[in-house]
Amino acid sequence: MSSEVFNPNPTIFAPTKSKKSTKTYARLHSLWLDDGENDGYDEEYDQSDEPETIDQDEIFELIRSISDPEHRSMTLEQLAVVSAPQIVFDHNSPDRITVEFTPTVPHCGMSTFIGLSIRVRLLRSLPQRFKIDIRVKPGSHQSEHALNKQLNDKERVAAALENPALLEVLEQCLSTAGRTPQEE
Amino acid sequence: MERIDRLVRTWIASEQEQEIEDTVKEIEQGNATLLHIVKSLGEYLTSEEDDLRTKGVEFLSLVIARCPPEKLNRQSVRTLVTFYCGKLEDTETIIPALKGLTTLTKLPSFVSTDAVEVAKALFAHVKMNVLVQSQRFTVFTIIDNLVANQREALKNMGQEFIRGYVGLAEGEKDPRNLLLAFAIDRVLLIEFEVTNFIEDFFNITFCYFPITFRPPPNDPYGITTEDLRAALRSCLHATPAFGKLAIPLFLEKLTAGSPVTKKDTLDTLDVCLPVYGPTVAREFARKMWNTLKLEIFQPTDNVTEEKALKTTQVLIQTIYSATPAEKTDDAEIEGLAKEACEECIQILRQPEKSQAKHAIKVLCAFMSTTPSVSRFTLARAVPHFVKLFLDPDELPNRAPTLRLLADLIEAARESTSQDLEVLPDEGSVPLSSYKDEVVGILTVGLKTPASAYPAIDALKSMVRTPGLLTDEELGFVVHNVNEVLQKDEDESDLSDVSLDLLCTISAVAPSHVSDNTLPMLFSALPDRAPPRDADAERIKYWRTLASLKKLCTQPDLFETLVVRLVTKLDLLCVPATPAEQAVDDLEPAAAYAHSILKTLADVLSAKIELGHTDVVKYIDRLVPRLYNLFIYSALEAEERPMVATDPRLLAVTAQIVTLITQTLTAARQETFVKAVFAAYIDGDVSELAQGIQKIPAGKKFSPLEASASTYQRNLLVLFSAAVVALRKEVSLPVPDEVAFLDSLLQWIGAHAENALQREALMHLIAAVVNRHAEKLDAFLSSNVDAFWTSQIANTSSPAEARRNAILTYKWLTKALLVRGHARAMQNVDRLFELFDDEHVSWDAARAVGKVPGTDKVLTKRHHAVLRILYAQKYCNAVLPRIIEGAKASPQSPRHNAYLVALAALIKSVPKSTYAHEMPSLMPLLLRGLDLPDNEIRASVIDTLHAAALSSERDDAIIAEHASSLVSTMVKNSLVSQMPSVRVRVAALRYLAVLPSVVRYDVLHPQKATVIRELAKALDDPKRVVRSEAVEARTNWFKFSG
Repeated sequence: MSSEVFNPNPTIFAPTKSKKSTKTYARLHSLWLDDGENDGYDEEYDQSDEPETIDQDEIFELIRSISDPEHRSMTLEQLAVVSAPQIVFDHNSPDRITVEFTPTVPHCGMSTFIGLSIRVRLLRSLPQRFKIDIRVKPGSHQSEHALNKQLNDKERVAAALENPALLEVLEQCLSTAGRTPQEE
Repeated sequence: MERIDRLVRTWIASEQEQEIEDTVKEIEQGNATLLHIVKSLGEYLTSEEDDLRTKGVEFLSLVIARCPPEKLNRQSVRTLVTFYCGKLEDTETIIPALKGLTTLTKLPSFVSTDAVEVAKALFAHVKMNVLVQSQRFTVFTIIDNLVANQREALKNMGQEFIRGYVGLAEGEKDPRNLLLAFAIDRVLLIEFEVTNFIEDFFNITFCYFPITFRPPPNDPYGITTEDLRAALRSCLHATPAFGKLAIPLFLEKLTAGSPVTKKDTLDTLDVCLPVYGPTVAREFARKMWNTLKLEIFQPTDNVTEEKALKTTQVLIQTIYSATPAEKTDDAEIEGLAKEACEECIQILRQPEKSQAKHAIKVLCAFMSTTPSVSRFTLARAVPHFVKLFLDPDELPNRAPTLRLLADLIEAARESTSQDLEVLPDEGSVPLSSYKDEVVGILTVGLKTPASAYPAIDALKSMVRTPGLLTDEELGFVVHNVNEVLQKDEDESDLSDVSLDLLCTISAVAPSHVSDNTLPMLFSALPDRAPPRDADAERIKYWRTLASLKKLCTQPDLFETLVVRLVTKLDLLCVPATPAEQAVDDLEPAAAYAHSILKTLADVLSAKIELGHTDVVKYIDRLVPRLYNLFIYSALEAEERPMVATDPRLLAVTAQIVTLITQTLTAARQETFVKAVFAAYIDGDVSELAQGIQKIPAGKKFSPLEASASTYQRNLLVLFSAAVVALRKEVSLPVPDEVAFLDSLLQWIGAHAENALQREALMHLIAAVVNRHAEKLDAFLSSNVDAFWTSQIANTSSPAEARRNAILTYKWLTKALLVRGHARAMQNVDRLFELFDDEHVSWDAARAVGKVPGTDKVLTKRHHAVLRILYAQKYCNAVLPRIIEGAKASPQSPRHNAYLVALAALIKSVPKSTYAHEMPSLMPLLLRGLDLPDNEIRASVIDTLHAAALSSERDDAIIAEHASSLVSTMVKNSLVSQMPSVRVRVAALRYLAVLPSVVRYDVLHPQKATVIRELAKALDDPKRVVRSEAVEARTNWFKFSG
């Protein structure tokens, strides 16, 4: 990692609320308040068999808390590098997803790394049937084309992951990925 | 004399302890004097042979070291001092001579002239660089003794002593010696005239900073880095004279050092700066700030950042606290505080940037420095934020602006609230001159969701600042927050924080909340339940009730709450005109009533938690009205459908009754329980039920009669609720408790229609047995025996009935066990007999396991008679038996019963009770995971999970079973093989912790399989499962050697 600072004073954005923060008492489709008397929560779990499909928000949950490589104390979401609307499902085939991200400055040298961290996180956490395209927001980076090409080249991604030093930094950035914003 | 001669000769030849001891004994007994010894030693002391001279002096030193002090009179000390000082010149005798001097310098008869002589001799003859560590240690000990006992004499030596000491101390490296040297340094720096030697002292102390010493493993001397650091630090701030020399050095270490050095330097600066004083601090202020700034704005880590802020605070305090307390506000602050403040304000012009976060931390730190600096900072920062907030160009940045302002206000509050007793005078709170503008922009900030959060935080800090807001202003705040509550439609956390603020206000000024907020909330509650499909309205009343629940713990507010909610409840359950009610669908109304009752129960429970004493009075104000409503409804229900007959309503009402009765005195419980029994046994409800509804005279309330309606029987729940929290000394108002309990026992079998009724009576019986077991021997032996034989052991009765009877039996046993009654174990023995029964073996097994579990009935709050550690004792008795039984009967139905009992048992007892059995439990638990019962599987996995979480790294038992654990868990985590979500989640959680408790080399062969199989779990139909799968799979990816 080069020690050059690309953006010493980035703008911070307030995190959006997690979708799931509906109140515990408000069990949808029920007349009754949950009175906490049912000791087994299995009932609550097993009650409905309807499958819940993977959606935009669920994918966003996976990547929002990845740390920024330049400002480790901040998440990609706080710096508005990633956002839920930038995750798009392909209308024609439901297993194709495009994830777009926005570097904080057009000359950001960390962009490849950020893209890579998103790529690895999704590789590990989404079912294999998904085909994921990762790109920078059009017009947000000076070498946009090269970046996009690099991030979607399987072999180059694999090669990057062979580099132990790179992998170590990557794991550090990903170590915060499981945290929800409330915990921070 | 001859004996001494002989002893000396022998010692010179053999160097044995014995001769020394014997010589000392001779002196103690007065048979010899030191003079004798010196005479006997004469030839050796002056011998030409180096070796003999050394030994001679050595012998003398050893003897006087053990000699009782009173034997060494002034004269002998004098002589010995001169003698030893002379021997320092001789390289062969210097070492034993130093030892001798160590002893002498501690003696009472060692006087100031001796001290001067010894010091001079040391300085003249001792060359530290030729001595080894222990010898140098002796030198330091001698000086330490001199400094401790003969300080004045040394002071009189003036520069000679200081110069000599510095010469000795220079270049010392051993930590043991340094600890001593630092202690001496500190005394000299503080008490001696060292003005001319500051540079020398600087050299012999600051050269050790920062301490990088690390004790070797198994260090026998036990000196830690901290010891040395503290000792050195005590020297560094011993004199203000170090200031000018020290600060540049500190700054250099701070710039170039490692994180540890930085922290050490900052801590040291914190203690040094106040000593070095304002002049030095002012001189270096700019340079220090420039260095500290780096640590604050580009912190290496949080701790360093905190410490740098602290040091900045100390720096400011040092500079400004010296100036005479300027009471006048117009005293302009000059120098660093001003410059730094302006620098930060400059950065704060972009409140949305990350640097602003650091800048506000600096200003917050300034708040707790000196009153003048904090006033000055507020005077600069607050108007700045107000202006920024009102600037139309900065509209998008209002939220971050308020966040920064909120931080500052909180810091201001913290700095003023040290003295809670003294209320500050009006206007003396630093913030009060700006409060109008600030409250103004904060209320504007409340209007948009993003800026509402920081606005509420800021308002909360203002409310909590004593003496800041007037009563009228509090009213204004309440008014504005009410609007936020009303507007917040999409149920964000905003309501939570708003309510939190209102709670804070109601603690100081409840009237604003009760006069404004409560009426608003009550009017939002509908009089009738919204219809079944009106989800939005229902969520609205839930939210309103949740808000009320949060606000109304305060006694005045709670009183209003009870009155309003009970009225609402009556209206809802018994409408004035029956036509108003949708007769065909009572459920929405029941659900609404339930939510209201639940709110009351929750607030009561919170109040009890807080120790509020006003709960007691609701036995008269609330309980009779509830009984009235429910008894009335049960009787009326025989004619027409009634809302208040729903079992769920009864359950939560029971909760309320029990919560209130548990706070009563024994006497009040006695009267209450009389009224309850009068109603339930004799049918006289006049004492118990009072309220709006008139109990119909023509109907009889008799829930225990065989002919009673289901509605009446269900009301046994409220019978039980009144009894389970009775104190031990309250007796039941029945002629014969044994007969009464037996009749209930029979009633459960004969008349109970549902689990509700059964459980109510089981709890009641358990509570009574628990309180009065000593009076109930007859019941516990003959009646219970008969019950066992006829209802449980009797294989001809239906399995369902036997199952219920086992449950009753379990409660009886539990009631006895928790109070340590011997009969409990006899009951459990009988349950084991059922393990072969083909119908009820699992039920008996579950009962065995669940007996020691905690429950909501037999609790301390309910005044149950509890013996400590009953679960442990039970576990110690039963667990080996289960393990034994399971091992002895493989492949039989009996075996599975044991596994069921085991799964239930470990779930109900604390982990510590079975941890020691883990090695033998593990294989059984693994087998339990194959039982065709998802609940058992889930609870076994939960147990394993808890065990894994609390185990140390490299847990041997888990490692031993690692491969079978992994494959079982993988199997249980896939939707294709395990339909239960709960089990899948539990299994995935377990897989997620495994990598942190088992060594990599053990699990390495499984890694590829786990990662591959978990990829399938990532595609689980349920979101909860997927998120656990992500966590587990990530942990396995990261897992490497």
